[in-house]
Amino acid sequence: MIGLPRHTGAIVLFGGAALVPLVIRDAFFLDSLVLILLWGALSAAWNVAGGYAGQVSIGHASFFGIGAYAGALMVTRFSKSPWLGMILGVVVSIGAGLVIGFLSNRLKGPYFALSTIALSQVLLIAVSRWRGFTAGGEGIPVPYRPGFATLGLGHVAWVYMALAVAIIYYGVEVYLEHSRIGYQLAGVREDEDAAEALGIATRRLKVIAVTVSAALTSVCGTLWAQYVGFVDPAYVFSVDLSVRFALNTIIGGIGTALGPYLGSILITVLETYLRATFAGMKAGFTGIYLVIYGAALILVVRWAPEGLTGIAARLRARWAAGARGARAHA
Amino acid sequence: MRHRAIPFVALIVALLASGTHAQSLSGEYKLGVLEPLTGPLAFEGKRHLEGLEIVRDMINERGGVMGKKLTFALADATDPTVAASEANRLITREGVKIIIGTFSSRLCGAASEVAARHNVIYWETSCVDPRFNKRGLKTVYRTEIDATGFGWYNVEFIAKHLAPRFNLKPNQIKIAFLSEDSSYGQGVTESARLRAKQEFGMQELAAEYYNWTTINDMTPIVLKLKQLNPDIVHHIGFGNDAVLFWRQSKEQNFLFKALVHAGATGYGGSDFGKALGNDANGVFALLEPGPGFRLEALKPEGQKIEREFREAVQKRTGSYPLGGHQLAGPGLWILKLVLDRAGTDDPDKFNAAVMSLDLPVGSSMNGWGVKFSETGQNANERVQHYMLQWQNSQLVTVWPEEFTTARAKWIPLGAWDQRK
Amino acid sequence: MDPARRLGPAQIDAVAQLGVSTVLLGGIYALIAVGLTLIFGIMRVVNFAHGEFLMLGMYLAFWSFTLWGVDPYFILFVAIPLFFMVGLVTYVLVMKGVITASHNVQIFTTFGLSILLQNVALVSWSGDFRFVRPWHLSVALRVGGTTFNLSQVVAFVISVVLTVALFAFMKFTHTGRVMRATAQDRDAATLMGIDTDRVYRLTFAIGIAAVGAAGVLVAPLYSVYPTAGLQFVLLSYVVVVLGGLGDMAGALIGSLIVAAVEVAGSYVFGIAWKEIFYFLLFILVLVFRPAGLFGQRGSETLGA
Repeated sequence: MIGLPRHTGAIVLFGGAALVPLVIRDAFFLDSLVLILLWGALSAAWNVAGGYAGQVSIGHASFFGIGAYAGALMVTRFSKSPWLGMILGVVVSIGAGLVIGFLSNRLKGPYFALSTIALSQVLLIAVSRWRGFTAGGEGIPVPYRPGFATLGLGHVAWVYMALAVAIIYYGVEVYLEHSRIGYQLAGVREDEDAAEALGIATRRLKVIAVTVSAALTSVCGTLWAQYVGFVDPAYVFSVDLSVRFALNTIIGGIGTALGPYLGSILITVLETYLRATFAGMKAGFTGIYLVIYGAALILVVRWAPEGLTGIAARLRARWAAGARGARAHA
Repeated sequence: MRHRAIPFVALIVALLASGTHAQSLSGEYKLGVLEPLTGPLAFEGKRHLEGLEIVRDMINERGGVMGKKLTFALADATDPTVAASEANRLITREGVKIIIGTFSSRLCGAASEVAARHNVIYWETSCVDPRFNKRGLKTVYRTEIDATGFGWYNVEFIAKHLAPRFNLKPNQIKIAFLSEDSSYGQGVTESARLRAKQEFGMQELAAEYYNWTTINDMTPIVLKLKQLNPDIVHHIGFGNDAVLFWRQSKEQNFLFKALVHAGATGYGGSDFGKALGNDANGVFALLEPGPGFRLEALKPEGQKIEREFREAVQKRTGSYPLGGHQLAGPGLWILKLVLDRAGTDDPDKFNAAVMSLDLPVGSSMNGWGVKFSETGQNANERVQHYMLQWQNSQLVTVWPEEFTTARAKWIPLGAWDQRK
Repeated sequence: MDPARRLGPAQIDAVAQLGVSTVLLGGIYALIAVGLTLIFGIMRVVNFAHGEFLMLGMYLAFWSFTLWGVDPYFILFVAIPLFFMVGLVTYVLVMKGVITASHNVQIFTTFGLSILLQNVALVSWSGDFRFVRPWHLSVALRVGGTTFNLSQVVAFVISVVLTVALFAFMKFTHTGRVMRATAQDRDAATLMGIDTDRVYRLTFAIGIAAVGAAGVLVAPLYSVYPTAGLQFVLLSYVVVVLGGLGDMAGALIGSLIVAAVEVAGSYVFGIAWKEIFYFLLFILVLVFRPAGLFGQRGSETLGA
């Protein structure tokens, strides 16, 4: 168990996801899988800034929304491919990322987090009011046109698209764990003053981390818009979404490569399951699943703050101690 | 970090697979119902569901649909992602062939896309996004008119009914537009603005939007409008914003000749009357019919089901049918008529039945007729809307006069304390 | 800007009225923010669930008014001790374990609490909008060319009284001094023999009592529904940052500034831009003077 190759977890997870569409054709299952992978990728993108660089933002919906709108507007207003919109979204998100990066160098902890929320809300309001360009509060319905250039894919194709993105983002995280820049970021995260004393360009690194995170988030925003088919400003820039990305990562294991995906699996599955189970009951009781969700959140964050990674590490240590103990007594 | 993934994969498979339900039993017909039951729109979603359940029982008393008992598969749509996901679940797990819903434009857009992709019928009863039927989706239908229809009716009322009573020509009317900024408010307001300006030449003094969930003080806008001195205030409110505006207008003694709104929320909701009592007197709201509705104006079949529906709602909720009930319930009724005619839920035969339905105004329990366009939209002229007015803590139907026994009062609105 | 506006009596009246609105609104924001600034300043915890305690206060006012006809201003005497205890319980059950944890853990714990409370309210009392309509809501007082709504005025007066009382408590009592010392330097305070856990417990309880009281006071002025706290929570953070962490006078002045920006901005540019103004103000303050207008420079990095 201890001697397994390094990325076994990822191989099992992503490999499993790749095999699923070959075996299961149920559209709801595939839809859930796409969402798990997309939310996972978004959480991994958040992890780059929040986990590896230690810059906890609760405003990543800013970048998600920018990506979603860029794609939707490119298609509906300019009749061009959403891929072009994706590029545009990345460019604008990098701009917004630079702003956040700048703020990360001026502010710490809760102040920084609050400023990220403020940005996402400013964007929400601005987009809602700019009726002439963004259709304002009405949102934009994104037409489904079959084809790859128009990102009009079937369920199975979407699974592979989301999977590809998830694997790439996993790769980015792994790169951060083992590269020089990753070690420097770790220094920034753990003790910024010490890192700076060692000559690490902390300010620049933070900006880079946040900007990369922003770009990655934006890409998924564009994909999401094409998948769900409706871009609503109150949703795509919402604090709820920002929290979701961070939440998945924290529950799964912040600062670990697989953590965001594990968190996404748990949360998305739990949510879907609870919603399906309780929807049949009287209308008043449908809020129960959110009550459970809130309570679960408090418990996990309180008792297992390193997330699932932490739990597994503890279990593994106990197994190892047990095994050693058994050998010693044998 | 390695083997941990395995139990997870097993967990996912177990949880998702366990959601599989048995297909409809013979003797039952399952209809997918998608409404916001949690989140900020829950209060309306609940009313929709009530209306649907009451009409479902009425339908089952009359032999159900296609000879089977009508049952619901319920799904909660809190946001666009969930709406799409739940639509998916209804289709693949519950096996429904028709989904009815969904109240809000942000939800119906995403959910209907999913339905269309699976060739499942999507029957919308109340979202008013004007673009809903213009996306070229084959299996998507809507019984309610879109927001542009609201704006159209409002301006009709102002120009044809109010203006003469103010001794003004329509192009002499000074009008100020105020609205909450969701797709609903924007849709109604923009279409009203357009018609007011282009067809009647009314003078627009202001057009302002705000977010109904965060607005907590309307004094600045009241003061601003007071200085502009409009004849008519066209205000689309969604919730407490309506109460706030009205109360603060009174406090600031902002006088104008009439306030016109559209829809079952804000000024058109029962909360407005509860909050203000007699102070609410005089406000106009475009809505489904309320007290004062001349039942004789309905066709005989319409009268029968209207009474049954009204009594059932009264019994269950203690009030006259509210907007939400009146949109969802009759919407389901029309669906039943289509299914009776088609005898099947096969999309092509269903479509033929929908197009062949032609009922005059007055046929349904809320006075609607039915005539669908090729894009699946029920025609504006058939979806008769009515102007109601708050009179003594009640919304009373006052226009068009051939449908009402009550008449509009306080035209123009006099001083604030003189509207008894 | 409206070209038809000249500086005549009507305009002066309008400005005076806007001034009144600002002050009344500001007083209410102050009471909501004062609890937050205490918690934020002394415990360094971002309490996302702050708005939900406000919402619970509103529901308390609603149910007592509806079931027993008790006016909100009388319920206040019950609300303050009740929410004080709620604060104690919440501290022990939820907050205590996360004081020393990382910021994101705190954020998410309180966010989980916020979701929990919102939906407990939704499940228990449904999503319907409720109203508290005591007799004083429809009373308008006219002074000169301006109008005051009686409910708003009383809410304002009580808010100021409570805020001043808290201020006096913090400044002049021994406990208050102990709390302030803990805010400045947690470790030094422990070394001096201060029981920081007790300080935090007290702080949180007071903070929640304040916001619960604010909820009771504002219930007549706004609708009561499960997500009612949302509108106030972000706004209170802007106030707290403006006024400086843990600075109560700052919270009061910050509230007035935010209220003024909102009211003036709405009047001049239209209400569509209302929130943008104070968010922009927020970002500007964070960038140029993050310690707030009155906080100690550099204090935003302390205790992080």
